[in-house]
Amino acid sequence: MDTSHHLQLLSATALGDRQAFEQLYRETSGKLYAVSLQLLQRKEPAEEALQEAFVRIWHNASEYNQERGSVLSWMISIVRYRALDMLRAAKVRRDHRAREADAVEEDDDPAAPEIDLARTRARAKIDTCMDHLEKPQADAIALAYFRGYTHHEVCHHMASPLGSVKSWIRRGLERLRRCLEA
Amino acid sequence: MNYRDDKLKNALSSHYVLGTLSGRARARYQRLVQEHSDVRQTLWRWEQHLNGLGGSLPEAPPDEKVWRSIQARLGFVPPQPAPRPRRWTLLTGLALAASVAFAALLLWTRPQAPAPYAERVAVVQNAEAQALWLIQIRKDNLGIAATANVAPYSDKDYELWMLTKDGRAPVSLGLLPQQGKRDLARPALFDEVEIAALAVSLEPLGGSPNGQPTTVLFTTELMAL
Repeated sequence: MDTSHHLQLLSATALGDRQAFEQLYRETSGKLYAVSLQLLQRKEPAEEALQEAFVRIWHNASEYNQERGSVLSWMISIVRYRALDMLRAAKVRRDHRAREADAVEEDDDPAAPEIDLARTRARAKIDTCMDHLEKPQADAIALAYFRGYTHHEVCHHMASPLGSVKSWIRRGLERLRRCLEA
Repeated sequence: MNYRDDKLKNALSSHYVLGTLSGRARARYQRLVQEHSDVRQTLWRWEQHLNGLGGSLPEAPPDEKVWRSIQARLGFVPPQPAPRPRRWTLLTGLALAASVAFAALLLWTRPQAPAPYAERVAVVQNAEAQALWLIQIRKDNLGIAATANVAPYSDKDYELWMLTKDGRAPVSLGLLPQQGKRDLARPALFDEVEIAALAVSLEPLGGSPNGQPTTVLFTTELMAL
């Protein structure tokens, strides 16, 4: 990952350079789309989140500073928060629907295969610290991060009580922090 | 609660980045981030740490049409032809009901467009009863057309919201075009709740920073055709 190159492109984007912005899109959209698709699981909303993220990146390019971490991390935050917002809105709708009818189906399209890009992901810096977590802690954190699962959803997915899931995530994050700051 | 406490700052920030901070706690945290630079820095640190996970996913190249939509949204490519001005001046000043009837007429008299069927329409008007946007609620999307009466901002966006009768917080429907036309996604919620009104707010570029309208400028009701 060429961090300083991204920084150059983003700085030029902040000055209104459309070519630099396009270049930045070409180099990073594959990563950002993976994050969005992993969270939203469907092409259409994932593309929508990606599109909105890049509109924001164009307008907010000048707000980036190096304290915020790498350019790619900043960009991933933007697309991820947007996708999480969309997920939350969809969940509100689903809960509402579930209350109205005795709807048993959980998803719009139960036949759609689950998109699991995380299975073949590369090792990240944080993985050194993830390795120190207990397995349920690491699993719960990964489900929340990659799938945008709420505590309740993680608990459903891992077939574990809510109290355990909450403490796995809390303690896992605390342990990550100690490791990352060591 | 002492937000200066390091442990608490880290707990809130890490949960926020992970996405497991919800509801009121999340809104409260977002305010803290605005107000306290040390909270902001903790947040940034966690973004940097955890987004390493996102960055480790294999690349998934999006369709080329996404880039085209981005260019269109940012005005890099000329927007689709604007509505014909004479018709729009006619709209100006008409009462809402008349506007709606006219909007229906407009739909039927433009055979060059594949004219998807609009079930309901709304006209957003300013205080002088000038039409600003025509909103068509179609089966698959919301068709929005801006009129020449829309005051353009280069550093702000207009955002469309749905206000429901069940009293939930306003639901964003997306950013409105300042000129020309744009289609917005039609959320499923549209068919599940009673809509009290639509609202238009003025927002920083890119839309509301916190998921709620910043300054509501106009509201309008939906009319069945």
